[in-house]
Parts: sequence; C-alpha cells; structure tokens
Amino acid sequence: MVPDAGAEDEEKWLAEGIAGLQHNAFYMHRSLDSNNLRDALKFSAQMLSELRTSRLSPHKYYELYMRAFDELRKLEMFFREETKRGSFSVIDLYELVQHAGNILPRLYLLCTVGSVYIKSKEAPAKDVLKDLVEMCRGIQHPVRGLFLRSYLSQISRDKLPDIGSEYEGDADTVVDAVEFVLQNFTEMNKLWVRMQHQGPIREKEKREKERSELRDLVGKNLHVLSQLEGVDLDMYKETVLPRILEQVVNCKDDIAQHYLMDCIIQVFPDEYHLQTLETLLSAFPQLQPTVDIKTVLSQLMDRLSNYAASSAEVLPEFLQVEAFAKLSSAIGKVIEAQVDMPIVGAITLYVSLLTFTLRVHPDRLDYVDQVLGACVKKLSGKAKLEDSKATKQIVALLSAPLEKYNDIVTALKLSNYPRVMDHLDNGTNKVMAVVIIQSIMKNSTCISTADKVEALFELIKGLIKDMDGTPDDELDEEDFKEEQNSVARLIHMLYNDDPEEMLKIICTVRKHILLGGPKRLPFTVPPLVFSSLKLVRRLQGQDGDVIGEEVPATPKKIFQILHQTIEALSLVPSPELALRLYLQCAEAANDCDLEPVAYEFFTQAFILYEEEVADSKAQVTAIHLIIGTLQRMNIFGVENRDTLTHKATGYSAKLLKKPDQCRAVYACSHLFWVDDQDGIKDGERVLLCLKRALRIANAAQQMANVTRGSSGSVTLFIEILNKYLYFFEKGNPQITSSVIQGLIELINTEMQSDNTTSDPSADAFFASTLRYIQFQKQKGGAMGEKYEPIKIN
Amino acid sequence: MASRRRTLLKVIVLGDSGVGKTSLMNQYVHKKFSQQYKATIGADFVTKEILVDDRLVTLQIWDTAGQERFQSLGVAFYRGADCCALVYDVNVLRSFDTLDNWHEEFLNQASPSDPKTFPFILLGNKIDVDGGNSRVVSEKKAKEWCASKGNIPYFETSAKEDYNVDAAFLCVAKLALEHDRDQDIYFQNIPEPISETEQSRGCAC
Repeated sequence: MVPDAGAEDEEKWLAEGIAGLQHNAFYMHRSLDSNNLRDALKFSAQMLSELRTSRLSPHKYYELYMRAFDELRKLEMFFREETKRGSFSVIDLYELVQHAGNILPRLYLLCTVGSVYIKSKEAPAKDVLKDLVEMCRGIQHPVRGLFLRSYLSQISRDKLPDIGSEYEGDADTVVDAVEFVLQNFTEMNKLWVRMQHQGPIREKEKREKERSELRDLVGKNLHVLSQLEGVDLDMYKETVLPRILEQVVNCKDDIAQHYLMDCIIQVFPDEYHLQTLETLLSAFPQLQPTVDIKTVLSQLMDRLSNYAASSAEVLPEFLQVEAFAKLSSAIGKVIEAQVDMPIVGAITLYVSLLTFTLRVHPDRLDYVDQVLGACVKKLSGKAKLEDSKATKQIVALLSAPLEKYNDIVTALKLSNYPRVMDHLDNGTNKVMAVVIIQSIMKNSTCISTADKVEALFELIKGLIKDMDGTPDDELDEEDFKEEQNSVARLIHMLYNDDPEEMLKIICTVRKHILLGGPKRLPFTVPPLVFSSLKLVRRLQGQDGDVIGEEVPATPKKIFQILHQTIEALSLVPSPELALRLYLQCAEAANDCDLEPVAYEFFTQAFILYEEEVADSKAQVTAIHLIIGTLQRMNIFGVENRDTLTHKATGYSAKLLKKPDQCRAVYACSHLFWVDDQDGIKDGERVLLCLKRALRIANAAQQMANVTRGSSGSVTLFIEILNKYLYFFEKGNPQITSSVIQGLIELINTEMQSDNTTSDPSADAFFASTLRYIQFQKQKGGAMGEKYEPIKIN
Repeated sequence: MASRRRTLLKVIVLGDSGVGKTSLMNQYVHKKFSQQYKATIGADFVTKEILVDDRLVTLQIWDTAGQERFQSLGVAFYRGADCCALVYDVNVLRSFDTLDNWHEEFLNQASPSDPKTFPFILLGNKIDVDGGNSRVVSEKKAKEWCASKGNIPYFETSAKEDYNVDAAFLCVAKLALEHDRDQDIYFQNIPEPISETEQSRGCAC
C-alpha cells in the first residue's frame, strides 16, 4: 500500500526512480555496445530494481515502467541478434538471467529472454509461456505483480500460437494460447481484487482510486482474447466466456465485477453476445448486490440495438435466439432482486429495452406494450414521480414509439401508453402532451375516427382540462397560450371524409373541450366551430337525402350543436368572440337555405351586442361585422330582413361618437342595395341612409366648432360623397348628378372656409375623388354620359 | 553512442472510438479484417520489421483505446514516440472534429522536444462504406486541416479493402525515421548516480 504522501513527494520519488533507471540504462547500453553480456545483465538488473519501489501510485509507477520497458526492447534486440549470431544460446541465457539477485528484476529479464526464446522456436511456445506465467507467481504484491504480468502479456502477444501464426504447430494450438491468457488474467484479477482488502479502512477511497487506475491492465487480457483469430464462436461459448464469468463471479468483488462485465460486453462482438445471451444474462443475478447491473445491462442492450440497426440481415438472428424474451426476463429479475434500486434506474433499463425492441421488433406492438406495462407495474403504488431524472426518462420512454412510428395512431394502440402517462406529474404530463401534438403536426397525421380522437384526448387531457380539479396558477401566460394554440391546431387535424364519422368526431371533441374551463374555451371553441362549419359546407353541396337511408348528419343538427357550443363562451365571458362565431354560423345557414336558423343566429348576435358589448370601440367593430354579414344574407323574407336592418341602422345611429355613427349609418346603405341579380335594390332607403349620414356629419362639424373653436375635418363628407358616387354608378335613381354636384360644392365650401382646420389627407382624398370623376367622364359611352353633367373645377 | 542496435521506431495511433485504428493495424501487420466492432482496452503494440530506403527497421506501432474510460492508466506510453498517426472515419463528422483535441492532447502529454516539427500523419479511414456515398468529410476539407497543422501528410484508407494501408504506414515509418535521426543528434546528460543506500527500498522481492 502506498503510504500517505503528498503529490510533491511522489514527483520527487518518481524523478529519483527515473534518474536511477537512466543511469543504469546508460551503462547497460555501453555494455551492449561492447558485447559484454555479464555487465549488460548486471546493469539491466540494477535498472529494473527501480521497479521494486512501493512508493509510487499506479499512474506514476506506469511512467517508470514505460521507461524500463523501452530500455528492455533494446536489450531484447541485443539478445536476439547475439543468439542468432551464436555468441550464446538462448537456453543458456534463460538459465543465466535467473541468477539475478532480486526476484522482480529476475522475472522481467526472464520474460524478456522468454520472448526471444519463443521467437527462436527452440522450444514450443506453449512450454515457455506456461513456465513464465507460473514463475510470475513469485510476485504477490498487487501493483508490481500487475505490471509484471502486463509486461509478460505485452511481449508475448505476437507470439501466441494462434491459428495461422508461425508459432502454431502440432503441440501448440490456439487452445494453449487461450489457456495462457486466461491463466494470466485470473492471476491478475486475484492481485487486483486483493488490493481492496489491504491496508486500513480509512484509506479505502485511496485504494479504490488506485484500483481504478490499474483496471485496464486486467481488462486488456479480455481484449487479447477477443483479438485471437482462433477464438471463434464455439471456443468463446465453450471455453472463453464460461472461464471468464467463473472468475468474475467467484472473485466476489463489486468493482471487478462491474468493470469486467463492461469489458466483456465492449470487447467481444455483437454476434457472440447474441449467441451466448442466456449464459451472459445468467451471470447477473450471481453478482454482488452492490454492483450497478443496470448500467451494464443498458449498455448491452444499446450495443445490440446498434447492431440491429446496422443491417437488416442480422435481425433474424435476434428472433432465433429469442433475444427480447431473454432480456426482458433478465431485466425483470434484476429489478426484482435490487429492491433499493432508485426508480430512475428501473426506468432507464426500460428505456434501453424499449429502444432495443423498436429497433429489432418494430412490428411487434405487443412487445412494445409489454415493456410499457412492466414500467407501469414498477410505477404503480407509488406517488407521482417527482424525481426530474426519472421524469426525463419517462418522457424518453414515451417519445420513443412516437419517433419510431411517426404515427400517433400506432402509439394509441398501446394500451399501457396512457397508463404510463398517468404517473407523470401534471407539468410533465403536459410536456408529453405537447410532444404528442408536435408529432402529429410534424407528420401531418390525420386522426380519422371518433374512437381514436377519444383515445388521443385521453392522452392529452393535461392540456384539455385542469387535472385534479385545481387550476394551474403557476403557468406562464405565454406558455399557456402556446399550449392552447397547439390544441387548437390539433383540432384541425381531426378529419374524416365520411360525414357521420366527422360528426362523431366533432361531438367527441366538444365533449372534451367543454371541460376546459373559461381560460381554455376562447382557444378551443373557434377551431371546433370552423371545423363544424367545414362539414356543413360539405353537406350543403350534396344533392338531397339518400332515399330510404337515415342521414343524421345534417346541417340543421350541426347548427344545433354549434349553437350550444358557442353558448359556452358565455362562461368566460367572451361576447365579442361569440358574436363573430354566431355571424359565421348565420352565413353558413344562409348558404344552406335555413332561414329560421340564420335568423336565430342573428338574434343571438344582437342580444350579445345589446347586453354584453359595452366597450365603444368593440361596439363599432361589432356593428360593422353585423352590417357586413347581414348585407350578404339573401335568405331572409321581407319581414325578417326589415327587422334586422332596422336594428342594425338603429344601433348604428346610437354609437357613442359622431364619426362612428356617421360611418356605421352610411355602411347601412349597403343593406338596401345588393348587387346580385335578385338582390334588393331599394334606392329610397339607400338615400335615406346617406342623408342621415350627412346630417350626422354636419352635427359632428358643429360640435367641433363649439368645443374646439374650429370645424373638424371634412373627411366624413368626402367619404359620403364616395358612397354617393358608388350608388350613382350602380344606377340608384334617387341619386342624381345634381345631388352629387351639390355635395361637391358643399365640400368645396367647407374646405375653403376659414374655420376649417387644414387636413392634407382630406385634401388628397378629395383630389383623388375628383380625379376619379374626371376619369369616368372621359371614359365616354354610357358612363361618360352619366357623369357628363357633373362639373368640377 | 554507436548505433549498432537496430533502429526501433515508436508510432502512436490515435483517434475516436470506432474509426478503425485496430483494424488498420490488423490489416497492416496480419493482413486480416473483421467487420464486427471490438473495443480496445488500454494500449498495446505490435511490431513489424520493414524496409525503409534499403534499411531494415522495426516499427513499434501502439494501438490505443478510443473510448476514454478504457485509458485508466494514462498515456505514459506516448513518451519517446517518433511519429503520431491520427485516424478518423470519413463517414462520421464528429471523429473529424475531435482531431484537434487528439493532436493537442498528444503534444501536451508526450511533450516532444520539437512540438512544432513533430511528425504527424492523418488517415481518413472507411472510404469503402456505401460506395463512398455516406461520406461527410471531403478530401478537400481533410487536406485543409492537414495544411493548417504544418502540412502533415494525408492518406485516404480502407482497412476493409486493404486500400492505401501499406502506403500510409510506409510514410509513417519514413517520418519516424527522420525524426529518430534528428533525436539522435540531441545528446542527453549522463544523470548523477544515486547512492546505494537509497536505491533499495520496498520489499525483498
């Protein structure tokens, strides 16, 4: 055990060791150059004595070791050349080096000569190797022993009697090579494990750190085995894996077990793992309970997943060895056995298994569901997850099928999918719901049956309503908007060509969004309304009912549903939105020839206007919407039409601000003149509106005079003039050229009056209006004739 | 010092996990190739005797672990290297992007006496994959990188098809030989001997 030392002390000792080493190396080289074998051995032994130190940590010892190593290569070259030359025999040399005083230098020299010995082929490789691996038992100090055996491994590597090697012979086969490596490995592991128990308990952390530094010396033996040509699947299955596992299990050391299992998985090819899956997996329960098996298992699955993804040709192999069943069972056992495993560990295992399943058996939804089910089982009985790492893993678990299948419909078939989601806390549930919606949007998936919609809305219920009955006050407003907008977008993805099914879908969606509460309705109601109206439009195009069949999906029925749906907005309350939606419905009803329905929608719109729309700006917007929609109605009979237009003009005149009144009133003029073939063309009432608008404009001027001392702008008059021109051209008999002339003069007077504030935009407006008149006059023909009498300066 | 000894050239092969370092070496030394990935642990070497300019040299090629966790003992074996071969996979951008790290790391850890002129070589491996259609690093881009590091030689290789492997390692040997010659000229001081009593510590083995 390395005594407590500061880093500075260690540096000093290392420097001393290097100095000593270099000193002796120098003299060793001199001896080599003068062919003095005795001296060469003497100085090389002295040089190697530096490796007898106990004062260095593995890292530092390695530096010293490498220098010795480099020097020994030169010594080896000398041995080789001289034995070839016949200066001495390798057998004699092998004997000679054993006279070195201390055992460590002796063994390093012996291994070095052993390398030359094998190369000379004067003895079978296996015999020399066997001798060396046993002689190394002489060093039982862990650090020194590990490095010595590592040296043996390094210099013997290219001399193992592998298949196709020059050292292969009748007496030497790969079996001997394997045996040698396995023996060296076993001894090295024993030394390594022994370190754990040497020294006082208070230094355990330091010991474990040193063990960690040394681990690759042990692991490298497995790498050597994997690189042997002769270690084919059979040899691996029959000899190599069982022997390695035996050592791993029997050493009962958790550090060694974890590291070596990791090495096995990384160092041997995927194909071997598949074919020995059962053997490999059966080792796990035999390991120490403190070993972090889940990491190793996850890595095994990840490796196999990548293998599966690399080529479709290997997939049948997975089926043949029943990889899924074996892995699934092994994971179950591990989770069961390690009761203290934190939840994140179990979930991580399931994520790895799911990734594996999606790669290897993408068509087996039952397997996928099985993995999710196992997860549900692990999660049930516990409170909702709060561990953020675990939650992240669950999101990964749930996202994997979405990404793989690019189709939410497939994910909807997984019965355990919603059950897993139920175990998420509210925040994460919503995150997952958004992920699902994004997946649908990205892939433009069309959800086409009410059942699927039902299942989908179950999944995303976290976005649709307040979970646990408590509203989520903490949510940022922007985030909330984002969320609800994504739900709105989703609603548009729900579609079926068959009207019956589409209606069912609409009803299903409606059922769910009505649970959303006042904050959500303004987002979710509009898309549903428009989706329904789209259906109405489709049905209106159809030619009558199919005789003898019940056709429940009718526009009438849909309008009923729409009515009730828009009504729900009163909960918010959201009168302006509701008003707009009523008008949209009225228009659709008009196109379906459903006069009572259209009238009813207008009634509702007006009621909202009267009772709910109080803000004056909102009123202006609303009344213009009403006028515009009403203007397009052609379904109304005289009575109904009169009632509605009367109301419209009445409310127009009652707007708060005079200019608003004026504009609304002249807009109403269009209610009495529709350009269609059968449209109403009541010239008198048009003129009445325009005259009324003029009066209001006048009053507005006077008011401005009184309050500000100067008249307001003449813009209103110019606007009205333009309306006059419109109807004049359309052929309203009530509007004559002299009427127009009079208005032009009125405007001129107003503009030139001292009282009037100059208004460049009004001037420009008037100028372009006059230009228009001029243009029309110049047109000639009927239009030119019409305009001819109007004089402009 | 007389140079009776055979020239031993030390070469370190570095690069990300999975780019083909071990495969390149296996192809070069044993003329063998295996498709399946087997991780390398720690660092180990193979030797090959080759003829460079009519001179027989021993090339000691060190294969290293690309996965960081399999380098627990550190990189003391970098010391005394005569050349460093950097390897990347032409189909994996990340393995190209990390070359700067490998380059810098090596110079930091090996601390050669001549960092500015220390010989490197770049190998762009796996050019055979998918008939070259999955390439994400162009030859041009690689050559630009080489130019930016002091005009280091570049080879496009395929360990699987044994394409350009011998040529690359021959170049490695030549570079290493040149470097080795340069180093010989640099004499090291003979260190002071340590007194006998201080030398033997530790146990009696």
